[in-house]
Amino acid sequence: MKRNMFWVGLIALVLCLSVTFLTGCAKKAAVKSDTATTQEQKAVTKAPSTDDQAAAAAAREKALREQALREQAEKEAAAKAAKEAAEKAKKEAAEKAKAILKELQIPDIHFDYDKYNLKPEAQAILKAGAPAYLKYSGYKLVVEGHCDERGTVEYNLALGQKRADEAAKYLADLGIQKERIKTISYGKEMPLDKESNEAAWAKNRRAHFVIFPPVK
Amino acid sequence: MRHVVRLAISSIFLLLLFHNSPVYGKVYIDIDSPSFQKFPIAITEFKSLRPGAETGDFPVWFADTLSRNLLITGYFNVIDRRAFLEDPSRAGITGEGTRFADWTTIGAEYLIKGGFQADGRQLIAEFRLFDVMKGELIVGKRYTGTTDDKNRIVLQFANEVLQALTGEAGLFDTRIAFVKKNISAADLYTSNFDGSDLRRITSYNSLTLAPRWSPDGRQLAFTSYKDGKPDIYLRDLVTEKTEKITSYPGLNLPGSWSRDGTRLLVTLSRDGNQEIYDMTVGNRLLQRLTREFSIDVSPVRSPDEKRIAFVSNRNGSPQIYIMDADGGNVRRLTFEGNYNTSPAWSPKGKMIAYEGSIDGRFQIFVINEEGGAPQQLTFAGGDHESPAWSPDGRYLAYSVRGYGRSRIEIMNSNGQNSRVLHEGNDGCLSPFWSPHLR
Repeated sequence: MKRNMFWVGLIALVLCLSVTFLTGCAKKAAVKSDTATTQEQKAVTKAPSTDDQAAAAAAREKALREQALREQAEKEAAAKAAKEAAEKAKKEAAEKAKAILKELQIPDIHFDYDKYNLKPEAQAILKAGAPAYLKYSGYKLVVEGHCDERGTVEYNLALGQKRADEAAKYLADLGIQKERIKTISYGKEMPLDKESNEAAWAKNRRAHFVIFPPVK
Repeated sequence: MRHVVRLAISSIFLLLLFHNSPVYGKVYIDIDSPSFQKFPIAITEFKSLRPGAETGDFPVWFADTLSRNLLITGYFNVIDRRAFLEDPSRAGITGEGTRFADWTTIGAEYLIKGGFQADGRQLIAEFRLFDVMKGELIVGKRYTGTTDDKNRIVLQFANEVLQALTGEAGLFDTRIAFVKKNISAADLYTSNFDGSDLRRITSYNSLTLAPRWSPDGRQLAFTSYKDGKPDIYLRDLVTEKTEKITSYPGLNLPGSWSRDGTRLLVTLSRDGNQEIYDMTVGNRLLQRLTREFSIDVSPVRSPDEKRIAFVSNRNGSPQIYIMDADGGNVRRLTFEGNYNTSPAWSPKGKMIAYEGSIDGRFQIFVINEEGGAPQQLTFAGGDHESPAWSPDGRYLAYSVRGYGRSRIEIMNSNGQNSRVLHEGNDGCLSPFWSPHLR
């Protein structure tokens, strides 16, 4: 029993000593680490005065830059959208205008040699063409009178004028205001087909209709 | 051509050198008759008036230039110089040194001899026209000027020859206006009576048509689309200024001038239909002459200005009509054919030239203002259009097109001696003859 007590005592002593020793070592390490901490702290306390400010400025700049970029992107997107919308509107307007022009375009009407009376098929074309002008009242038209190459320059100028006048009068009778219709004769000076044969002459004896959109 | 010849022309009538000369100024032959035969004429090389002096090209130049200008008139057969029998080294240039038998033998009825003297720029030229049959001098002239005037000197004597043999001076001081048309534009041009000296008058890159020379030769009235529609303009050929004189809605076309140049007949469609008006050019006042719901166009005045010929389709097809100057008393002139247009009234009086459709082609005709049978003047292929009289009424200019070519031609008023004034691939249209441009 006494022997056991001895070993217990010895172990306790060893433990005590080792604790003491260990503690001392730990203290040294702690001191060491304290020094390191202090140094670190020194570095940290140093940052707010120089490095920290730069970082903040950089961050701010970055933020501003990002914001600017964001805004620019938004702006560009908006502009793009607006442009697209404008283009779309323009395209639509153009298409609409084109559609209106198509609606307003009266095909050429044709005449017999040395004649200016409107043939039934010519009257039918004018009847079909007139309603669009009643619908789109801002549009005007010019009726061009043309002749085939046979005969005199001057007589054909008169004949072309007659053809244009007859067509214009018919359109006016269909309800288009006279003020919206102008006439011009080109006589035989502007043939569609330059050949000298019946087919070309028939093509060239015509009234041609030119649409004038409203002036904005 | 139109500017006054600056040379001091001293014309010495050499008639005094010879005895009887009552023939001077007499009209020998009626050149307007259809049976007219051309004058056979011989023109010798000119001789130096100073024997031994350097002659240069002058002897041949004078003979050739005079020959060419007389040939253009259509009244002369110029006999080839190689056929001459006379020895030029021995014969003089006056009647005394001339053996007329040498000339009758080769068929010459008339003979022109001449001499010249050139001292530096100074030039003296003498011309003598002989009647070979009678062995008589008809006219002799001497001109002094500079060498620059040599062409005008020759033309002056050519005029004397025409005056002596035909009773009327030539047309060497006239020009012809016409339209040249390509795909995109038509413009006005003028050229001399022989086709030389072509000048472009307008460059509007537009349609410009229907030239009408004013009676003083200074202005051209015409229609141009240069402002987008056919309006009437006046071009002053001296100042080159252009003025728009009518711009009514629809058609504006010029017709003929009055002799005093104050009024211009015009065709306008401003009243809803083509009508003929007499316009006072100074204030643009209009007197309306026709009132028909048909085409009335192309008005021309008679030389006495009492009547107006024009084209109307009031009876269905285009025909020539005549009315009084105030628009009254309208009567139809042409009845043959279904397309008779472009009347031109002879300055000599009663004849009206026009173009008519016959066998599908257009040909030039003349008809008496009293009516009767028209006389066809052109017969060749192609379309012959827009006749215009020379101021002496002895020639007609007109356009011809067909076979891909187009030209302005001139013929004697009896339909003979047609020759080309100008030819091109472009359209050559609507000739109009100037008055004398002195």
